Amino acid sequence: MGRTSARGRRNAVRVARTALGMTQADLAREVGVTRQTVIAVEAGDYAPSVYLALAIAGHLGGTVEQLFGEELDADRPGLSNNQKASL
Amino acid sequence: MNAHEHLENVDRDGWFVKAAATMGDLGNPFYLEERQRDVWNEASAVGLQLVLWLGLGTAAAMVWLGGTPALPYAFAVFVVLSAAPGVSLLYAHKLGVHADDAGRVLRLRLVPYVVLLVLFFVGVVRAAPSGVFGAGFTWGAAVGGVVALLSLVRGGLRARRREQRGKV
Repeated sequence: MGRTSARGRRNAVRVARTALGMTQADLAREVGVTRQTVIAVEAGDYAPSVYLALAIAGHLGGTVEQLFGEELDADRPGLSNNQKASL
Repeated sequence: MNAHEHLENVDRDGWFVKAAATMGDLGNPFYLEERQRDVWNEASAVGLQLVLWLGLGTAAAMVWLGGTPALPYAFAVFVVLSAAPGVSLLYAHKLGVHADDAGRVLRLRLVPYVVLLVLFFVGVVRAAPSGVFGAGFTWGAAVGGVVALLSLVRGGLRARRREQRGKV
């Protein structure tokens, strides 16, 4: 397993993105990475840099802690109702 | 030297780092995408290790199979081969990453390298020419290699002891 892997860590990027009706390509374009990187981040195969994590959180309307924190529950403060409903 | 001191000594604007960055084409837009950059860095590490394995094996095979006539070519392979990890370590060192300390050197995966190095140097001594200059040069290179190897092991052991003392 490579050093870039974040396997074993969950994140809510896919949930937040789909709740906003964005495609992976949309998000990739917005934050300036390839679609493959968004796929890898969502799958937990890649741990993004703090700057990419901030950009993703900014475009999905949340915080880094909400998207990449270990606890992924619907009661977490800060998520929109759509995002909570999708969890 | 601790990690903080390492970072204080970062030399990103030095000529070596600039030259190495140019040689490595680190300004290529490809590196702007962070996952591409990270994955390529991993891929480069794999390639470097593979080249070291194959190169050391080739150099060792050359001196054992080719004998005395193969010595200059085997040394050439060895010198070229040494440049790759040497430049990598120096580049990392200039940027405050010391891949050759903290006991990291002494790992089980080092054993195959040591075996290949010993094979190479024993083969060099075995194939040493009979002339005074050639024999002296060959023996000098072989002894130098063994001393470098022992220094590496000694440095690794000392670093490991330092690290263990730091954990207590």
